[in-house]
Amino acid sequence: MSLRWRIIWVGLLVLGLGWAAVANFVPEERRESSEWIPSGMRLGLDLRGGIRMLLAPDLDEAVRLELGHLRNSLERALEDENILVGRLAVVGESTIELELASPGDRDAVRDVVEDYSVLDAEETENGWRLTLGDLQYDQVRRQAVDQSLEVLRRRINDPNTGIQESVVTRQGADRILVEIPGVSEVPDIFARTGFLELDIVLDEEPSEELLQAKYPDGLPEGTRVLVEKDEETGRVTRAYLVNKEPDITGENLSDARPVFDRNEWKVSFTWNGDGAREFGELTEKNRGKNLAIVLDGEVYSAPRIRERISRAGEISGRFSSQQAFDLAVILRAGSLPIPVNLEEERTIGPALGADSIRRGLRASAVGLVLVILFVVLYYRLAGSYAAVALTVNLMLVIGVLSVMRNFATLTLPGIAGLVLTVGMAVDANVLIFERIREELRSGKTVRAAIATGFQKARWTILDANITTLITALILYEFGTGPIQGFAVTLAIGIVTSVFAALVITRMLFMIYPGDRHLEQLSI
Amino acid sequence: MPFELVRPGTQIDFLGKAKVCLVISVALILIGLVSIPLRGFRLGIDFAGGTELHVSFPENEAVDEGDVRAVVQGLGIAGASVIRFGGGGSNEFLIKYASEVEDEALPDVAAEPGGEGEAATVEAADPGVEVAEAAPAAEEPVAPVESELEPPAAAARAAQADEGTVPLVRQQVNQVIASLEQRIGPVELERVDFVGPKVGAELRRAGILALVVACGLILLYIAIRFSTRFAPGAVVALVHDVLVTSGLWVIFGLEFDLRVLAALLAIVGYSLNDTIIVYDRIRENMELRTRANLESVLNEAVNQTLARTLLTSATTLVAVLSLLFLGGEVIRPFALAMAIGIGVGTYSSIFVAAPTLLFLERRFGASPATARA
Repeated sequence: MSLRWRIIWVGLLVLGLGWAAVANFVPEERRESSEWIPSGMRLGLDLRGGIRMLLAPDLDEAVRLELGHLRNSLERALEDENILVGRLAVVGESTIELELASPGDRDAVRDVVEDYSVLDAEETENGWRLTLGDLQYDQVRRQAVDQSLEVLRRRINDPNTGIQESVVTRQGADRILVEIPGVSEVPDIFARTGFLELDIVLDEEPSEELLQAKYPDGLPEGTRVLVEKDEETGRVTRAYLVNKEPDITGENLSDARPVFDRNEWKVSFTWNGDGAREFGELTEKNRGKNLAIVLDGEVYSAPRIRERISRAGEISGRFSSQQAFDLAVILRAGSLPIPVNLEEERTIGPALGADSIRRGLRASAVGLVLVILFVVLYYRLAGSYAAVALTVNLMLVIGVLSVMRNFATLTLPGIAGLVLTVGMAVDANVLIFERIREELRSGKTVRAAIATGFQKARWTILDANITTLITALILYEFGTGPIQGFAVTLAIGIVTSVFAALVITRMLFMIYPGDRHLEQLSI
Repeated sequence: MPFELVRPGTQIDFLGKAKVCLVISVALILIGLVSIPLRGFRLGIDFAGGTELHVSFPENEAVDEGDVRAVVQGLGIAGASVIRFGGGGSNEFLIKYASEVEDEALPDVAAEPGGEGEAATVEAADPGVEVAEAAPAAEEPVAPVESELEPPAAAARAAQADEGTVPLVRQQVNQVIASLEQRIGPVELERVDFVGPKVGAELRRAGILALVVACGLILLYIAIRFSTRFAPGAVVALVHDVLVTSGLWVIFGLEFDLRVLAALLAIVGYSLNDTIIVYDRIRENMELRTRANLESVLNEAVNQTLARTLLTSATTLVAVLSLLFLGGEVIRPFALAMAIGIGVGTYSSIFVAAPTLLFLERRFGASPATARA
C-alpha cells in the first residue's frame, strides 16, 4: 500500500490505542463521569490492595454425607418393605455394607437395592457391598463445589456485606477463587444472607399487569405479588399472588439434594422437627395448590403439592436435572453444604499497593528514558526513529491492556513485564540497524541497505520474539494471579514491539530518507 | 562515521576458547549444586507453604529485629523467621512461619442463627484466649440469648464446626499483630500471604513442569525453524542458563518463590534471543560458504553478531537494572534474577551455543556442505 495510506492506518491505530492508554492518567472520577474517556487498565489485587483466597470445599466430606443420606434412604426403603437387616453401615470413604439378617431375605433386598441406580451393588456372602457409582461420585463432588460457589457468591453479593466488587469463581476442578478488592481484612462473608420462603400461591398470571388487572379494586388484604424471572434475560415470566407473611421459611430446612430416582429428577429434602410439623400441616391443607419457592423476594419455581409432605419428602414435577439441581441449591442456600477449607490467602494492604504502582511507574519511566538516550546517542537519526517506535510501543501496550480490561489485569509483575518490553523492543531495532550498518559497509546504497536490513532482520526478530512468546504462554498456563498478569503483559508487549519495529520504524524510514538519494545515513 | 561497539572485522577465536568456557560453566554449576546441602535450597512460602507477614512500624522510633523475633517466638509459633525489609533504616519486617494447621476449616456459620454467630465473632477476635469457648457455647441450645428459634439440629452442627467464625490462619495473624502492638508499638499490616501445604506442593510441581515444557517447546521450535542439528545447542545453552542462575541464587542464599520462577521462565525465552541471532548468522554463512571449515564459519558468525548480542543484552539490562534499583522490594527478586539471567544468557549465546553445535557436528554430524538450514 502506498506510504500515505500506511501512515493513515498506522496513525489511526496508534491514536486509538493511545487514547485508551492516556486515559489511564486521567483521575478516576473524571473517567467515570465522562462517556468519552475510556476506563483504563484493570488493576490487579496486588496493586489495588485486597484479598485473594483459594477455598477448597471438603469434597470427601460431601461424599461421606451423600453416602450417609443414601444409607438412611435405604434403611427407610427396607423398613417400608418390612425387611430387617443385620447391619447397614457406611464403611470407609465410599462404601455401604449391608448384612442380611436371614438369607431368605436376599431376593427381597435385591429388589430394593436395585432401585438405587446410583449405587454399584456387589453381592457378597453375607449381603451386599454398595459403592457410589463413578458418575454419581463425580456428580456429588461437582455439586458440592457448585453449591458452595453458589452460596458464597450469593453471600458475598448480598448488599448487607458492603462488598462492592468481588470475584467468586471456580478454580480448576474443585477449588473456589474469591477476590475482594479494597478490603484489607477477611470479611465475615459467612454471615447468613439470603432469605428463603415457601408461600402458597393464591393466584397467578403470566405477568404482573395481568394479575393486577384481575383485582381492579386492589389486591386482597394481606397479600402481595411476587414475580418469577427468566434467569438469562431477567424478564418477568410469571406473577404470583401470595400472602404477605411467608407461610414457611427455610430456617428449618436441614438438607435438600437433587436425586435421580426411578427415572426422574426430584429434589429430596428434610426438615428438622419443627419444620416437619409446620410443613406437614401446610401441605395437608393445600393439596393440589402450587407452592411458590421464593428466595430474596423472587420466585424461583412454583411446583404443585401432590400430597402431604412432612419430615422428609420429595418435590417432583418432571424437573430436568438442571432444574432439580437449581432447586436443591436454592433450598439449601442459607448454609454451606460442607466445610470449606482455606488453601491460599494473599492480602495486600492498599498502602503497599499504591507504593508498588508508584515505584513501578518510576522504574518504567527511568528505564524508558535511559534506553532512549542510549539508542539516540548510538544510532543518531535512526536511533531517534527507534525512540519514537519505543514510545509508541509502550503506549500501544498500555492501550491494549486498557481495551482488553476484561481479559487482562495489570499486576506488579505485569509492570515488570512492561519494563522488560521496553528493553526488548529496542532489541528488534538494534538488529535492524546493525544489519543496515553492515550492508552500508559492504557498499550498498542507502536505500538498498535500508531495504535489505529490514528484510534480513525480519525473521531473526520474529524467531526471537516467538520463542519469548512461547514462554509467556507457558507462564500464563502454569501461573497464578499476578504471574499471569506478567505473562499477559509480556505477550502483548512482544506483539506490539514487533509491530513497532517492523512497521513504525520502517514507516519512519520511508518518510525520510524514503525515495531520496542520500550519500550517507545517520545511523 | 558511526560509533561501533565492536570494530567491524573483529576476529576473536571464540570457539577456540570453548574448553575454558566449559570449565567455567561446569564449575559454576557444580558450586551451585554443592551449595545446596551447605546453604540449603531456600524455598519461599509459595513452594514450601506457610505464612508470611509484611509489617511496618512508624518511622520515628527504630525497632530492633531481635525484639520482633522475640515477640513472635514468644507466641509459641515454631520456626518463625524475622527479616528486616528494605534498607538499614527501615522499620519494615518480613515475618515468616510455617502454618501448624493442615487445613483451616471455615465453619458453617449459617447453622447458627444470626445472633449467635455474632457473639462467636466477637469472642474469636480476642486473640487466642476465648476461641475455645465459642464452641461450647454453641453446644447448649439454651445459651444463645438472641435466638430462641434455634433448632437443635443447627446447634449440633455448630458444635461440629470446630473453630470460631474467623479462619485459623487469620486468628494466628491477628495474634501476632496484637502481640506486636502490645509489646512494641503500633504496627501496620502491609501484606499477608498464606499458602497451604497442598497448594505449595502443586506450585512446586507446576513450576518444574513449566520449565521442562518451555525447554521442550523451544527445542521443537528451533528444530523447525533451523534444523534438528541446531536445536540441541540452543537447549544446552538454555539449561545452562537456568542451572547457573539457580546456582548463583543458591550460593547467595536467596529464596526461590513464584517471582523467581517467573524470571527463570522469562530468561528461558529471552536468552534464546541472542542464541537465535547467532544461529541466524551461522545459517546465512553456511549457505554462502559451503566449503569452509565449520569452526571458522561458526567463529565468523559469532564475531559478526557480537555487537548485536552485546547491545541487545545491554539495553534490556539497562531496563531491568532500572527495575532493580527503583522498582521496590516486592519486585526486587524478580529483577535480580532477570539481570543475572540476561548476563548468563549472553555469555551462553557466545560461548556455549556455538561450541555445542560444533561438538555435536564433529561427533555425529555430516560435513558442513550438507548442513541445511
